[in-house]
Amino acid sequence: MYKIEIKTKENFRDARGEYYLYEIISMGFDNVKKVKYCPLYIIKGDISDGEAEIIARQLLIDEITEDYSIKKENEILSPIKVGGAIEVWYKKGVTDTVAQSVQKAVKDLGIDKKIEVNTGHKYYLFGDISDEDLALMAEKLFANTLIQGYEIENHALQRN
Amino acid sequence: MKKVKALILTTAGTNCDYESQAALQLCGASADRVHINVLLEKKDEILNYDILVFPGGFSYGDDIASGKILANEVKNKMGGVLQKFALSKRPVIGICNGFQVLVKMGLLPSVREFCQTSTLSYNDSGKFECRWVYLKTMKNIDGVSKCLWTRNLPEIISLPVAHGEGKFIVRDKDILDMLKNNEQIAFKYCSKDGSEADYPLNPNGSIEQIAGISNDFGNVFGLMPHPERYVFALQHPARQGYDGKFGWGKIIFQNAVDYVKG
Repeated sequence: MYKIEIKTKENFRDARGEYYLYEIISMGFDNVKKVKYCPLYIIKGDISDGEAEIIARQLLIDEITEDYSIKKENEILSPIKVGGAIEVWYKKGVTDTVAQSVQKAVKDLGIDKKIEVNTGHKYYLFGDISDEDLALMAEKLFANTLIQGYEIENHALQRN
Repeated sequence: MKKVKALILTTAGTNCDYESQAALQLCGASADRVHINVLLEKKDEILNYDILVFPGGFSYGDDIASGKILANEVKNKMGGVLQKFALSKRPVIGICNGFQVLVKMGLLPSVREFCQTSTLSYNDSGKFECRWVYLKTMKNIDGVSKCLWTRNLPEIISLPVAHGEGKFIVRDKDILDMLKNNEQIAFKYCSKDGSEADYPLNPNGSIEQIAGISNDFGNVFGLMPHPERYVFALQHPARQGYDGKFGWGKIIFQNAVDYVKG
């Protein structure tokens, strides 16, 4: 299993992150100073480390503006110390249409292996933010809780 | 005289193919809408056509990023014949999603290099922008456009845009310098009087207000605005046009048809 996280390169504008920051501030959470948006992909199946790299580099990123990191199963990456983060994933049983497109596109790359794909979203929130506020933002803005679940990381609390 | 033949490439999510077909037919060409799966079974038949169109839409639902999946598919499965088509100096146009496909596969800005050196990223506003914009037609000191598709247009025209990922960005300054030095910038967003403009006149925050570019020969052209949505004056909100009947988009398609006719 490979978890691939896409990041906007530092010298390019993260327009989606800025848009979510605007939405959050207009909801009254003025303790959030910055939002960084990162698409997530989980790829399961019989693919090699090299193939995962090809999928990330040739398909999942825009090589001009984006970069990526790959985490293998059970590998733990140290969290970015930003305040908090929210991951949003589809609930079981909900059709993930983007994942279906990724499966098709992986075959177009010449990697003809049976794989399973899940797509998600990660929002890094910079500022001093409580668990309660993160949950409220997830429920009100980031996740459609009818079809999506969310996980919260509170890096501020981890530091304490 | 042999009729000019255009191929309009479609796939799941293409939605401007009929308008592009109608525009080309209006200009005297025959135009076939061909699905990528059909074309892949007989790739070389593309060389029986004179004009190639990557139309607008949301190919593969804009999944991953707009145009990315179709760009990879076309390049990996028929990149060679596509490059041959473009190097033969036949007109190629990518409109909106088609422009995203052309830059992400790297057919623009250099057909010969055929690698990605620019992109169309998320609008600075973070949202979909759908409205009419003013465009400055870029011409050299003799008043001629390098891009064959944008010849015979007045200095300022208007066309509609409708996109969420239209911000033109280059890999580095060398690419921007190349575009400028080779006169490959075909259209810039501008104000009504042609002066430089920021948002909302530049709807996406493109560098140097770039709305469309061509390759160095001028036969391959990509643009975010939709010329196929303004071939008749009736399509303009104020019913404006030329000759009391047509919209500026018609001239763009007519240029390609006339170029093929010689």
